[in-house]
Parts: sequence; C-alpha cells; structure tokens
Amino acid sequence: MTRSLIRAPRFMIADHPLPWLLPLIVILVVFALYPFFYNIFLSFHEFAPRKRELVPVGFDNWVQLFGDPRMWNAFSVTLLYTGICLVIQVVLGMAIALLIDSDDPGFGFLRGVLTLTLVIPPAITGMMFLLMQDAQFGIITWTLQSLGLLTQATPILATPSLALWGVIVADVWQWTPFMVLIFVAGLRSLPRDPFESAMIDGASSWQVFRRLTLPMMGKVIAIAVLIRGIDLFRMFDYVFVMTSGGPGTSTYTLSLYAWEQTFSFIKWGYGATLSLFALFVILIAANLFVAVFKVRW
Amino acid sequence: MLLSPGQRILRAVAAWAVVMLFAFPIYYWVTVSIKLDREIFSIPPKVFSFETSAKSYEEVFGISLGFEQGLSVLPGGGDFYMTPRLWDSIVIAVCSTALAIVIATLAAYALSRMRFRGQHHFVFWILSTRMMPPVAVAIPMFFIYRDFGLLDTYHGVILIHALMNMPLAVLLLKSFFDDIPKEIDEAALIDGASRFLVFRKLVLPMAMGGIAATAVLCFIFSWTEFLFVLTLTQTGLKTVPVVSSTFVTSTGTAWGNMAALGTAAILPAFIFILLVQKNLVRGLTLGSVKQ
Amino acid sequence: MRESDRKLYLASVTDRYVRGDLSRRKFLRAASKLGLGAGALGLTATMPFGFRGGVFNTAAAAEIVPDADMMAWLKDVAKPFAGQTIRLATESTPPSNAINEHLKPFFEEATGINVEIEVLPLEQVLQKLTLDVASGLGTYDLYYLDQSWMASFSGDVLDPREKYAAKPDLAMPNYNFDDFLGPLVDGISMYDGIMVGVPYDIPIFIYMYRKDVYDELGLKVATTMDEFLANAQAIQKAKGPDIYGTTGQMKSGHYSLECDWTAWLWGHGGSIFGPDQKFSGNDAEGLEAMDYWVKLKENMPPGVTSWTWDGQGQSVAQGIAGQVLSWGEFFPSWDNPDASQVSGLMEAAIPPAPKALRTVEQTGFGEIPGVGHQGGSSLAVSKYSKSPDAAWLFAQWATSADTQVFITTLGGGTGPTRTSVYDDARVKANAKPGIPGTTRHLNVVRETIDNYMGSEPDLPEWAELANDTIPVELGRFFAGEYDSAKAAMDSIAEKTNKIVSG
Repeated sequence: MTRSLIRAPRFMIADHPLPWLLPLIVILVVFALYPFFYNIFLSFHEFAPRKRELVPVGFDNWVQLFGDPRMWNAFSVTLLYTGICLVIQVVLGMAIALLIDSDDPGFGFLRGVLTLTLVIPPAITGMMFLLMQDAQFGIITWTLQSLGLLTQATPILATPSLALWGVIVADVWQWTPFMVLIFVAGLRSLPRDPFESAMIDGASSWQVFRRLTLPMMGKVIAIAVLIRGIDLFRMFDYVFVMTSGGPGTSTYTLSLYAWEQTFSFIKWGYGATLSLFALFVILIAANLFVAVFKVRW
Repeated sequence: MLLSPGQRILRAVAAWAVVMLFAFPIYYWVTVSIKLDREIFSIPPKVFSFETSAKSYEEVFGISLGFEQGLSVLPGGGDFYMTPRLWDSIVIAVCSTALAIVIATLAAYALSRMRFRGQHHFVFWILSTRMMPPVAVAIPMFFIYRDFGLLDTYHGVILIHALMNMPLAVLLLKSFFDDIPKEIDEAALIDGASRFLVFRKLVLPMAMGGIAATAVLCFIFSWTEFLFVLTLTQTGLKTVPVVSSTFVTSTGTAWGNMAALGTAAILPAFIFILLVQKNLVRGLTLGSVKQ
Repeated sequence: MRESDRKLYLASVTDRYVRGDLSRRKFLRAASKLGLGAGALGLTATMPFGFRGGVFNTAAAAEIVPDADMMAWLKDVAKPFAGQTIRLATESTPPSNAINEHLKPFFEEATGINVEIEVLPLEQVLQKLTLDVASGLGTYDLYYLDQSWMASFSGDVLDPREKYAAKPDLAMPNYNFDDFLGPLVDGISMYDGIMVGVPYDIPIFIYMYRKDVYDELGLKVATTMDEFLANAQAIQKAKGPDIYGTTGQMKSGHYSLECDWTAWLWGHGGSIFGPDQKFSGNDAEGLEAMDYWVKLKENMPPGVTSWTWDGQGQSVAQGIAGQVLSWGEFFPSWDNPDASQVSGLMEAAIPPAPKALRTVEQTGFGEIPGVGHQGGSSLAVSKYSKSPDAAWLFAQWATSADTQVFITTLGGGTGPTRTSVYDDARVKANAKPGIPGTTRHLNVVRETIDNYMGSEPDLPEWAELANDTIPVELGRFFAGEYDSAKAAMDSIAEKTNKIVSG
C-alpha cells in the first residue's frame, strides 16, 4: 500500500471533524439554537390571554425590562446569591478536598458518602431544608435557638436579612461535594516531584498550598467555577420551594421571576425577555472569565 | 505529604466529622420517612429515638410490610404513581446518559484531535447552550415536541436530557482525550488504521475512566432534572423529582411519603455511582492533568 | 347486631388498634366477631409488591359499592366511547386523589374508557393548562379549574348545562344541577353568564378551635371579630408560648397569604375592588382590617410568616394553636391520631360575624365578600378535547352524588358540593370524633357555604394579583419593610391598578 492511498480516505472521510461533530451540531441546532431564536421572537411579542395568540408588541418588553424595579432587585439578588455561593463552595470545597484527599483506610468510603448529596433532586433538597429550617419544628432552627444564636422572633426563612442565607445553606450543602469531587481529582493528578522538593526545602504547608497547589490547580478551579457559576445564576428550585422569593422580594431571583412571568402569569413575551437578559449577562460574565483566566479549550 | 500518626488520626477525625455533617440531613430525611407522622414535628426534634412506621413506604410503593392501612386516600393518588415512576427515572437517566456519552465522545474526540478555524468559539458556543434559563427552553421545546409527537414519550425526555448534558459532557471528555498523547493516534494512523479504528480500539479504552466520570455527572443531572420533565410529560411517564411534588397537596405536605420516595430514589443513583466510583476519581484525575 | 352498629363498633376497635391501645391479635378477634375475616380486613400479609388488597376504611367500613343504576346506565351509554382515553390534570386534592386511587377503576370498568389523571401542585396545574390552551392541543380533555382562573379559561371550555341539554342521550339521569349548593354555582362555576365547569370541590374557611382549651379557660365560641381576637389573646396569655392564641398561613409571596388577608378584609366591611374597579383595600375599612390582623398576629407563632397552609395545618395538628380561621379541609386530618396530637379535641364553628359586609354591587369584578373565604374548583370539559363526550360522561360521574359520597367517606374531608351528599347516611355515619376522615365538621361547612361564603373577584389578571402582587407586598409589610399598613396598602393599590388597567 502506498501512502497516498492511505491518506486519501483519511482526509476525505475520517479526518475531517464534521462527521464526528455532526450529531452534536444537529442536536444543538434543533434543541438549543431554535429555542434561542424562538425566545428572541417571543421577546418582541406578548401572549394575549383573551385571544389565545401572540401579538407583536415591538420593544415594549425590553423597555419594560430596563425600567422594572422588580427585575433589578431580582438581578442583584441573583448576583449576590451567585457570588456568595461560589466563594463559599470554592473555599469550602478546596478545604474539604485537601482534608479528604488521602489513601488512608475509610477515605474512599467518605468520598462516596459525600456524593450522596448530589443525587437528591434540588426540589426535594429544598423541601428538606424547608422542614429543617421551619420556624417552629425545624431541627436547624431548634439547634440554633438552643445555642442562643437565633431568637424565636426571627424565623430564618421569613426574616429579610436571613432568608437568603437559609437558601444558601441548602445550595452549599448540595453542591460543595460537587466541588470536592472535582478538586480531589485535580489534586490527585498533580505531579509529585515539586511537592517533594518543596518539603525538602522546608516549606510550610501553607506555602506549599499557596505557591504550588493553587497555581497548578488553576485550570481545574476555573472549569469548576464556570460550570457552577452558570448553574448558580440560573438557580430556581430552592427559592421556589423554600421562600417563594420572600419575604417580600428579598430572595427573588431572575430565574424565579422569569418562571412566574412565563407560567403563572402567562406573560411569555416578558418571561422570554427576562430569560434572554439573564443569558446575555451569563454570556458576558463567562466570556470575561475565560479571557481573564486565559482558559483555552 | 507525610504526616505523623497523630496528625493522621486528627485528619481522619476531622474528615469523618465533616462528612457526617454533610450526611446528617440525609440521615434526618431517612428518619422522616420512617417516623409516625406526628413524630416528624415534635419539639425538640427527635433524631435518634422516635415511634417508627413503615406506613410511608407502604403507601408510596403500594406494598405491605405488615401494617396494612386499608382504604385510605393517599396524597398523589397512591401506588399508581410511584413504583413505575422510579422505573421511568432509571430508564430516562440511563438512556439519556448513554446517548449523551455517545454523541459527546465522538465530538470531544474530534475537538481534541483535529484543529479547525474558530474551534475556541465553537467550544464556547457548546458551553453557552447550558446558559439559557431552563424556563426559556421549556416553552419552545413544548411546541417542537407537540409538532414532532414527542410529548409524553420516553425518547422525547431522553433527548432533552441528553441535550442538557451535552455541554458538560463534551467539555469534560475533551479534556480527558487531551490527556492521551496524540503520538499514539498518529503512530497507528501511519500504520494504516482508519481514524475510527484508532478511536475505537486505542483511544476509547484509554479514556474509559473519564467516560465513566462524565457518565456519573450526566446521570446525576438527568436524575434530578425537574422542569423539562414537568413540561414535556403528561400521564405517560414521570420522574422522581416531578412525582415527589405531588405530595404537596391542598391539605398540606405529606412529608413522610415525600421522604420515603426521596430515600428510595437515592438508592439507584447511589448504586450507579458506586459501580463507577473507582473510575470516577481516576477518570477526573486523568482529565485535569491537561494544561 | 345491626349493620350500622357493626360498623360503629368496627370503627372504634379499628381506632384503638391504630392508636396502639389494642394488640393486633385482640383486634383480629374483635373483628372476627363482626364476621370479618382477617383477609377481609386486609390485615394479613398481602403479597409483597402486590397491590393493596384491603377493603375497609380506617374511618368506618365504607366499602365502595357504586350505585348500580348509575353504573348500568354508564355501561350502556358509553359503548360508543369504549377504548377512548381521557386525561385530566388536577391539583393534589382529596377528591382527585380519592378518584385516582380508588374510584376510577369502577368508571373504567363500566365504560371501557381509560382515565388518566395527572396529579400536581396547584401552580403546576395552571402551567399545564396554559400550555394546553395556548397550543390548542387538547391533550387534556378535562380541566381542573381553581376559582381564581375562572375568568382566564372561560373561553376554552364547554358549558356543562348546554352540553347536558344538547345531548339528552348522554345526560345522566338524576344528575340534577339544582342539587349543587347555590352559592357554589355562583362562586366557582359562573363567569359572565357562562357556566365554566361543574362544582367539584370546596375548601372553605371555617372557625376551628380546641375544645379542651376553651373549656379550661372558660371561653365561649366567638361570634364577632372582636371576640375572636379576645379569645386568641386570652389563650395566648394563659397558655403561650406552648399554645398560641391562633395561627396563620402568611408566607410572603404565596397565595395563602392573600387568602388570609381577604377573610379579615371582608370581615371588616372592606373589599378588594370598589365598584369603579379600582383596588380598595387601602380605604378605611381595609386599614381597620390590617390593624386587626396585626393585633391577631401578635398571638400567632412567630413562624407564621414562613408558613403556607402546610405549616398552618401542622401547627394546629401539633397542638400549638388554640383556634384558627382556616380551611375546613384540615379538619379530618386533625382527627387522625397518627398524624395529630389533637385528635378528637377540635371543634368546628361558623366563622365570626363580620363587622360590616359589602354587597356584590359595592365591589368590583364579581367579588362576593364573606368571612368564609372559599378556594373551590370546578371540573370543566375542554373545548379542544378530542373525546368531549367521554370526558363529559366522566365529569358527570365524578360530580354525581353517589361518587361524592365515596369521596367524602374515603377520608377526603373536602366539603361536598351537593346538598344531597351532606344529608347522605353514609356520610353522616362518619361524623365521629377521633377518626381520620371524620365528617363531623361538614354541617358547619355547609352552613358556611350557604350563608357566609366569600369569593374572590373574577378577572384575567387575578392570578398575578393573588399570587404575586398582593402576597409579596403583604409579605414585605409583615417583614417590617413598610412604615405603616397604609403605605403597604397604597403600594398594592398603585401596582394593582396599573396591572388591571393594562
């Protein structure tokens, strides 16, 4: 066989990326691009409840969006929530990952148990924490009250200053193990040599972590933050179940607002506008993040 | 790092304490499922000793454990809903995971091995499909599904779950493939093997760990997904998260039943994770070396 | 022993068995005296993973024996529709659950029509219906319509009276539209002269209190708003914080908060809308109601602001509330000794009299003031249904007197929507304290429906107002984000008027 004979089919059929990517592209175009354009279409229309059809409204939805105090409030709540959760989950996740990354007996089991939190549907997690944080019967409330950290007059989920934290607890509980899983994997992949020489040089644990572990883990952390950040920004289940966005609007997130507009009030146009706004915000944030942290795919 | 025995013990104690703290809500949830209804709300909360009852499980799964309750009306309408729904969940999670993995593996291999213009943007575009709030995808999906007759069908839900997991799967798998030296492929290609043969016989087996890890995450996201199943199904099938919401009734929440279903739903997923747990850690390890 | 005595005795031994006062063996022996084998009681170990085989109700041995004439008629008339499938999306309510679980098979067997019922929480039902209507798909043949959606969906359904008249061959003999309680037909079925659906279930606010606490403190059942408050204060003073004066469903941003508000608003002579179709909750009566409500809240557990009806019901069931004005639907579960600490201790009464009451003419959008806030729903046949006739048969069967009797005796607890069901001997036989699914509160429910019922206004924007605008702002008020009730009410007025005027 001559080389040219081998080459031809390689180039023609197998080495072009298209056949490999085709199924993905088809499925993404149908199921991701179409909804995107449909939402753009929707954002210039509104569902007329009496006529049961979409009527064009021009830029009304967009004008309404930027002048809607509820939206800006939801936007800031979402940002705050995403920020706090990300920081806690990254820091806590890293700490637990360092703690649990060991081959001593029992640690494999511990890692397995930790993944349990991930298999519980977020809607059920919300119910669990709703029960545990109940102002009268909840075990978390009871514990905090017994410790004198909480008074009867401040039910966690009904006090504006505490409610968001009540929701954050649920999110942190469920998703910190996700970070731990990824970080443990990252830690285990680090080459041994630099650490050994650092030890010989007598570096402290903190120095090792700060100068070696953290920089080498940069990429892993970046991916984890990106994926979690996207999901956090879209978070909906916990507030829907636990607080209905309350008290008042103190835990009202963009996703919840979009959901309510779309499904409860049948304002599909405005709901789509809200969703697109959220999408653009994430897109910009993710692009910035990728640029700043120089993530290359 | 070398630790003294004392430090090792300290570390073990700390690790157990942290993990138990995380496991506690699950333990508490399990106790709710076996508590007599009125015990769920006692003050102070009962953690270790309480009156037990298998009623919640009997009701949710329509089985008898010897405490037959007779003709009472159950929230959610009783056993019609539950055991088959667990099965629905398993079918959907397993199939959508398989579909996502097949498509994503092909794509990730190409993205890892072949270069083309705008590749960076293409990958970012894939990631961006995860950024749309689910609410915004649900309505257009409903109309597509209506036109294609996919509403209330297994393959419809499987498709949407596979799609939802695609960005995550492609990104993770690509990083796993990146770790496998390209020289292996090239040597084989020069020997006359086709790309597909190289992919199937050489690269795929080496990436098995990474694929398993990705599969676990896909499985978890499908297992816990709520909104798409809610919107795109009617009476034909339902998964656990959607069905558990039927316990929120007009006369209050059936906490025991909800906890029983939730507890039972942990098991299949946990078994799946255990089966691939060794691969999970090793797989992710492989994946994250790349720089 | 007479049949009724036998049932009574069975109910009492069952109750003791369930409470744990009676061993399994003794219970079986007692039951066998009644001529019931262990198998009939469903006490034997039924097949593992088999379906439930029990044939008795923990309340009273209400075996399901549907009316033979009706079933024969159904069997006969349904022949052309055998094999068709009809779908219903419904909230998880006692009637829907009873039908889905126990009664549906009888209908399916007689008619050969398959019935698929999707049980969901209320807000998800709305979502399903909206999509169905918007797509004109007719995937659901029957709609479960909450009273607050009546206006939105009035154009998507078939008027049952017309249907009844137009197809005499499908009209159930003795169905009798006049048997439905009159106020219910007005309150939950009628919109703009159209009968949107058949009255299906009726949760309504009644006054429920702890008999033991009242007796101990020498309190009398309140007949006025002020007495109700005074009772709450008296209980709170004597028993708090172990037993609070009253309790509530006041979760910010949740429909339940709006329900509580309307009861106090109407009870003080206020209304949601004035005749000019502008929000009127911020007038003098409205503010008086807020004032009253704030005073009442001082006697509630601090957690009320995080509770929907679930937390409210639990707080009574756990014995930490002395009295409450809320859904009568709770009552049967409070008598369930397994779930409740107050089994047999609760009593029901009609709501306290309002200080003043507006007439329908003094309000807007067909609002009917009354302290007994109702949350009823109706069952409607979809205009888009592909099997409207089969669906109509099901709707008639599901709302027939006979079926409602079984729904009620199966421990459901919602008030029936038909006069004859309240009078039915099988329903009355369950009117005993301390058993799950008791019906001893139903006389009060009926009286409240007849005389004191309040209905929310009907307008397409109501879903948004009732689920978001009003409860969110009220939630902010109770979280202390407004300086005064006036400021909160003015804010609601401004937002509401904006939404209503488009």
